[in-house]
Amino acid sequence: MSTQRYRVSHTSTYDYTGPISASHNEVRMTPLTEEGQTTLESRLRIRPLTWSNTYRDYFGTHVTALETSGFHEALELEAVSTVERYDVDRERPAATWDALRSGGCRDRCFEYLELRRHTELPEDVLAGFAQAAAGLDPTASVAAVVDAVRDHLDYEPGVTQATTLASEAWAEGKGVCQDFVHATLGGLRHLGIPARYVSGYLMPDADATIGQPVTSESHAWVEWFDGEGWVPVDPTNDRPVSLAHIAVARGRDYEDVAPFKGVYLGDQDADLTVTVMITRLS
Amino acid sequence: MALFDTYPQGRAWDEMIGRDGGPRAPYEVMHDTLSRLGPAELAARSDQLARSYVDQGVTFDYAGEERAFPLDLVPRIIPADEWDIIDRGVQQRVKALEAFLGDVYAHEGQLPRVVNDGILPYELIVSSTHFHRAVSGLRPHNGVRVHVSGIDLIRDEEGVFRVLEDNVRVPSGVSYVISNRRALTNTFPEAFQALRIRQVHDYPRHLLRALRAAAPDGNPNPTVVVLTPGVYNSAYFEHSLLARMMGVELVEGRDLICTGGTVRMRTTRGDQQVDVIYRRVDDEFLDPVHFRPDSVLGVPGLINAMRAGRVTVANAVGNGVADDKLVYSYVPDFIRYYLDEDPIIPNVDTYRCVEPDALRHVLANVDQMVVKPVDGSGGKGLVIGTEADGKTLDALRAKLKDDPRGWIAQPVVQLSTVPTLIDGAFKPRHVDLRPFAVNDGETVTVLPGGLTRVALPEGELVVNSSQGGGSKDTWVLARSEPSEPVDEGSLETTEIVVMTAPDEFTEDPVRSVKEQQKQQQQVGEGAPC
Amino acid sequence: MLSRIAESLFWIGRYVERVDGTARLVDVVRLSMLEGGLAGHDESANMVLSVVMGGDPDARVTYSDLRDRLVFDPTSASSISGSWNAARDNARRARETLSTDLWAAINTAWLRWGRLGPPDGTARHLSWARERSILIGGIADSTMSHDEAWDFLVLGRYLERADMTARIITTGTLPTGGLSWQSVLSSCGGNQAFMRSNQGLFNDRNVATFLVLNREFPRSVLYALAEAEATLERLDPDHTPIGFTGEGRRLLGRIRTSLEYRLPTNIINELPQQMARVEQMVTAVSDAVGARYFPGGPELSWTEELR
Repeated sequence: MSTQRYRVSHTSTYDYTGPISASHNEVRMTPLTEEGQTTLESRLRIRPLTWSNTYRDYFGTHVTALETSGFHEALELEAVSTVERYDVDRERPAATWDALRSGGCRDRCFEYLELRRHTELPEDVLAGFAQAAAGLDPTASVAAVVDAVRDHLDYEPGVTQATTLASEAWAEGKGVCQDFVHATLGGLRHLGIPARYVSGYLMPDADATIGQPVTSESHAWVEWFDGEGWVPVDPTNDRPVSLAHIAVARGRDYEDVAPFKGVYLGDQDADLTVTVMITRLS
Repeated sequence: MALFDTYPQGRAWDEMIGRDGGPRAPYEVMHDTLSRLGPAELAARSDQLARSYVDQGVTFDYAGEERAFPLDLVPRIIPADEWDIIDRGVQQRVKALEAFLGDVYAHEGQLPRVVNDGILPYELIVSSTHFHRAVSGLRPHNGVRVHVSGIDLIRDEEGVFRVLEDNVRVPSGVSYVISNRRALTNTFPEAFQALRIRQVHDYPRHLLRALRAAAPDGNPNPTVVVLTPGVYNSAYFEHSLLARMMGVELVEGRDLICTGGTVRMRTTRGDQQVDVIYRRVDDEFLDPVHFRPDSVLGVPGLINAMRAGRVTVANAVGNGVADDKLVYSYVPDFIRYYLDEDPIIPNVDTYRCVEPDALRHVLANVDQMVVKPVDGSGGKGLVIGTEADGKTLDALRAKLKDDPRGWIAQPVVQLSTVPTLIDGAFKPRHVDLRPFAVNDGETVTVLPGGLTRVALPEGELVVNSSQGGGSKDTWVLARSEPSEPVDEGSLETTEIVVMTAPDEFTEDPVRSVKEQQKQQQQVGEGAPC
Repeated sequence: MLSRIAESLFWIGRYVERVDGTARLVDVVRLSMLEGGLAGHDESANMVLSVVMGGDPDARVTYSDLRDRLVFDPTSASSISGSWNAARDNARRARETLSTDLWAAINTAWLRWGRLGPPDGTARHLSWARERSILIGGIADSTMSHDEAWDFLVLGRYLERADMTARIITTGTLPTGGLSWQSVLSSCGGNQAFMRSNQGLFNDRNVATFLVLNREFPRSVLYALAEAEATLERLDPDHTPIGFTGEGRRLLGRIRTSLEYRLPTNIINELPQQMARVEQMVTAVSDAVGARYFPGGPELSWTEELR
């Protein structure tokens, strides 16, 4: 059985243009422990911090709720985790339309079949996906949708933001992993394939020297339901989801998995700097 | 008898006048009292009623204006045995809704068991705008999520009570129950002497007890507050009345702060910890971290403080998934499923447009039905087919086809009527009933009476006050055997002693003392707690 | 009680008293005009606005400007209109805590003032405003429980009175503008009280001393400071000397004793500086009271974090 062990260090720093006196936030930066992934250790350091509490949210993500009182001009979050990824034997019969279209499946996966603000796309775009997948079984349809998305969208950072909708990115023809994922979700859901958003990290260089930190960033990919379980697929990169992918959070779209959200007291602006470093440990 | 001679009989079940034209048993005394009053006396009492209301400052906000709440002087009377059914039925309903909410938010396993067992589609839960994932997994300290509920009932043409709607989020109106009673006591003291009417003024005591019982860690002396959106809110009068009668602080979001995972209120003696918040603010405005980030009515960090077990919010966040109009149609099934009982009070027959057969039926008969948006409140968006014109019905059909999940339909029920004073004469007007129930974790206490809302325009079936309706005092008659101790200081007759004009020089000190002793005035009803 | 409510009560006290004080201040100029003829009243107005109210000394101001700015300007917290607006606004927020009569009195005063409108007949306006202000104070005293809520109301009232009286007294010291001590005394309503206490020995120094130091006349600076100090004492009988708790009392005590125990001659010579010190002290005490009982600063709003 193949395994990979990593250390992930994710630092987010918020610099405010003036001192703020309080903030209440939630952090989703702790990798999951589940089949195929074990988080051996995870530390979240926050400066300054007054109080925190941890829980698992509706989607199973590890959340740290935090509160900072007292004047501060910057908030620094650093999540350092040691994660082991291992292969799982996943032999399953291929997905069928019958299974996916059954009342039971459609009902239980309702949340992952709905197109909401972030994943909604124009009629003609959705029709295009349907055409590309015409006559194909679910597995091949997924590939067809991913191909269509990769055909249309160019990977280009700096054009879109965390709040960009799939329809907006599609109109631009450019985006980052989040936009690729939202567009893919729109296509898959339109076809009746339940699909969800996965956020986490991707080790960019699987053959990196052990012990050598590699600069990386947050990554997002898709999982679709084949009638029995969830199958991962990475629409942004032309490669399958592998042991290089580390999952942190799941949801219907970006809103459910945002690594950091909350409010602060005051009307100062904030600047965000993010650094992600991944080190192969084995 | 003159005032009732021309009282029209309609299809609706009249609460006071039976089919034979005579008063039903519970109304005999009242019918007699009213019949003896001439038009002048009637008008005088009606004026006195209106004045007593204005004096109490009982107003509500209608279209941005503060208005006196229209209270009609004819009470609605419910005999003890009929109330018994309502009492038990409402209790049962609340227990079933509690079980449902517990299943939705704190179930073991992947899915709520009500979904697993095929009773309710999961879609109805997750697609509800009131299903709040932010509170999934949260278990209230004493298991109660519906501390206060208002279960709206109507009586159909056969005289059978049916549930029209459940309200388990932020139900309002109980302050009018209390004010209406005070006003009527002054208007018809003779009726209160002749009849044994169950009291309503101890509602705040029950509410406070339930709120205290909901405190975290079974704290025996918790700090309870009422959270109001502020003076501009249409129900502000009720918030301040309840806070006053319970003897607890009335706060706004900006008085509260979350620090160290606890909620505190800012007082002149420093920040004081708050344990239970009776909130009259909607979920969406409660916590900008999880809900609307622009809300100024809530407290950032509140949901996380709840999750940390430091504060109880009543009613619980997320209750709205249970008073969704579509879920309403399943509540009789919940009663069977969770409680293993048959429903004591039935629903109004409901067609779920999301079901193709139901949609077909509704589209074909839309001119005979009442069609309601699933997410509406206060009667907004509701269409009464029998009263709508062709254009409205066409537009409605289009909306139904476009978003079937968003609509339900019911046959038009002729709500029961009660004589109401309109332009000096008694006319039948449609009413409903909103009894209020308080759940303290061990018992569900239903306030005897409730708010009877009356639609003032002739034939109008929509009774919600936000559309300009009125109300009536609701009298539940006690059983003939004394079951409750008579409360001192309540409903005693008023002895008014007329004071003589003060003399310029009180030369006789003894006499002036005697004058003082004669000054005894007992207020009609005991002062609020 | 809730800090928010305490703060509202404090400001109701201040603003209602400010109506009265401002009316009297404007009255000094008006009375001076009556006594001294028409000469120089624009100069008086100018002096009053710049020196006493801290306005622009180079601006050339007429009596009608003075009237407009201090009486009718709804946007200014120093004007009578602005004060009525603020008082009524605070009263609405604290409505649950005010007695019914008090709320009605403030609300009615605000409504009626709004209908009086700018126009002529300022004397009528000013006396109406003064009467209403005093009436509201009287209703507060006789219909509210003399508990913590009432204490904040009264604290605001006396702090404002000390401040406004200090300003009114300063007008008597102005070198030009023809404002007489007689007008100052009249505007403070102290003619009879002065006569009784000084047996008619009218001169500038006696009047000034009376208005600053008389312990029995309720509009004297000393009286107001002493009452404010007594209120702080009631609010916090435990006497914690450190921190904001004692700051307000300490400041008040200092200014009060410094006024009380200096010889009258010195007071008069340094009157303008002393009165300026009183104003500064009132601001400092007001800040200390705020920091102690209603901290939290101006209402900030919550901003969503960057995603």
